[in-house]
Amino acid sequence: MAAIEVENLYKSFKIYSDKGKTLKERLLFKKRRAYEKREVLNGISFSIKKGETVGLIGHNGCGKSTLLKLLTRILYPDAGTIKVEGRVSSLLELGAGFHPDLSGRENIYANAAIFGLKKKEIDERLKKIIDFSGLEDFIDNPVRTYSSGMYTRLAFSVAINVDADVLLVDEILAVGDVNFQQKCLKKMRQLRDSGVTIVYVTHDTDTVKTFCNRAIWIHEGKIRKDADSWEAVDAYLAFMNDEKMRELEKEQEPVQEEQPEEPQVQEDINDEQPPAEEPIEDALTEEEAPAEEAELDSNHFGSGEVLITKVRFVDEQGEVLDILKCGMPVSLEIDYQILKEQNGYNFGMGFFTASGINVFSTNTNIDNIFPEKLPQEGTVRFKIQNLSLLEGEYKLNVAVVNADQAPLDYYRCFLEFAVASENKKAVGTTYIEHTWEIPQA
Amino acid sequence: MQSLKELWDYREMLGSLVKKDLKTRYKGSVLGFLWTFINPLLQLLVYSLLFSVIMRAGIENYGMFLFVALVPWLFFSTSLMAGASSIMGAQGLIEKIYFPRIIIPISVVCSNFLNMVFSFIIVFAALLITGVGLNPAMGFLPVLMAIEFFFALGLTLIVSAVNVYFRDLEYILGILTQVWMYVTPVLYPIDMAPEAIQGIILNVNPMSSVIIAYRDILFYQKFPDVSTLLMTVLCAIISMIVGVLVFGKLQKGFAEEL
Repeated sequence: MAAIEVENLYKSFKIYSDKGKTLKERLLFKKRRAYEKREVLNGISFSIKKGETVGLIGHNGCGKSTLLKLLTRILYPDAGTIKVEGRVSSLLELGAGFHPDLSGRENIYANAAIFGLKKKEIDERLKKIIDFSGLEDFIDNPVRTYSSGMYTRLAFSVAINVDADVLLVDEILAVGDVNFQQKCLKKMRQLRDSGVTIVYVTHDTDTVKTFCNRAIWIHEGKIRKDADSWEAVDAYLAFMNDEKMRELEKEQEPVQEEQPEEPQVQEDINDEQPPAEEPIEDALTEEEAPAEEAELDSNHFGSGEVLITKVRFVDEQGEVLDILKCGMPVSLEIDYQILKEQNGYNFGMGFFTASGINVFSTNTNIDNIFPEKLPQEGTVRFKIQNLSLLEGEYKLNVAVVNADQAPLDYYRCFLEFAVASENKKAVGTTYIEHTWEIPQA
Repeated sequence: MQSLKELWDYREMLGSLVKKDLKTRYKGSVLGFLWTFINPLLQLLVYSLLFSVIMRAGIENYGMFLFVALVPWLFFSTSLMAGASSIMGAQGLIEKIYFPRIIIPISVVCSNFLNMVFSFIIVFAALLITGVGLNPAMGFLPVLMAIEFFFALGLTLIVSAVNVYFRDLEYILGILTQVWMYVTPVLYPIDMAPEAIQGIILNVNPMSSVIIAYRDILFYQKFPDVSTLLMTVLCAIISMIVGVLVFGKLQKGFAEEL
């Protein structure tokens, strides 16, 4: 049996640039009444069976909250029908209708009445509601004396104890302290298991996966995917990741093209005195630039006798990458040009977080490679089998120094790059291969 | 029919809104709920003193004469005025939760109605004290109140819904109800008006017969002229039908317009 039946739903909003609501405004400023029609929902149909737990997902402004408001009947559709069976309780906005001057107890009655409960039904639930809120000691104080946490706790307790057949929830579990949140989730699980139909709007895709058995992904006012919660969430996340990559690509393009070609800067540096000698190991592994160098150009310096002309990330096929993915094989290619032969060469690289913390740095000397003769022009490759950087924004340092560790061409933050992560999920900067062992019950 | 059943299901909310309004109206004052009685009592005293001592109106017991008409008139006019802004006042609720929207204007009219009933307690006390006493015509009072209630409710439904889209209405109503009061025999007996206008006042203004009937029952202690009330009954029915239809149509856009 269907608890919620939605058929061919359309909803648009009129966006007035500046709407006149009074007679004068309407008569005088006809132009102001110009509006733009924005389609929010474009023909949505679905049916939710009794006892199903459905997550509504989608990016901001996709129409999922509008859909929820239509289901609660706060808004009315332009076209299409909505049928909802049984008593509906909505956890959209908690504490709507609380009167600050009335006591907690009086507000329970008033608030539960808004959900359509009768006096007798409220009497029966009163104790449960007060117990659940944990506000026994304050229940006869006026609500205006409550803290915001207490306020939402009371409101949640009322809404959740209405014994609804259909529960509509909009991202509200971020209320109260940790204990209360867990209590809420536990109660929601109980309700779910007792056969209450739940529609849950949230950005927390993990909760959708674990809590809901089905998810509807709404995109641009249409249903993009309606499936098992894992499947739908994964499809949604993959889409969002792609979006992010596209966005990053846009941001990165100019950076990559401009950075390597800076003849002016390089010439300037040629004229200037080379900075004080400095062992490259230290330079690459230290976080902060020595003060003397700051005078020149703290981000790009060196004698210029050897130039780093281009730097790029490529994949196994040699295709240039704009966005890296955690776990993929990547090569860092450094093109160099030797203007004046040196007594030896040492190439270095370093990954830094956007905030400047060194994640990983090394150079050829550290790795016991001491090239003495190199072709006039060429490419040094730093090959990574399995990129262990986690999702985030990073900066790349590249440098070449001579055997005496005198900087020839040294870039702090040659380029900024982004790492996306599809399946390697963790928090931090570096992914560490691992397994878990859990004791068996 | 469906919505009538729903309204019944939500009667608890209606009750709680009315109770909340009456309870919180004088919240924070020392006398609190007592003001519901003190307010009309003081008004009665002021009118009695003003018109019997300072401005002699030439009508015996003018304070009482005025008061028995003013109380039902104030119910009518404050219902309209408060009703007009009621939907906007309940914005927080309407944007956040579902309930039959019609409950809001109904609760306004109901709480004002109860205020009138409380004021009548003072009226009855005054009638007993001033020696006017009680009479069988008062049995008709509930019917009269019911007629006025539904007439006021119908109009309140219309103005409450229209005001969401057209906010001048609230201010227009402020003037309109004042004018309306002067073309209703509240301050004066109908025969004081020029005869040419008397007909218009009686036949065009449905509130005239209501106010006259209140005064007949409470002040003159006689049965009201039921035939003149029939027009008001008809107006009440029409205003209720139009009110429910208009409200039902306009309420769908409330959440967006607010």
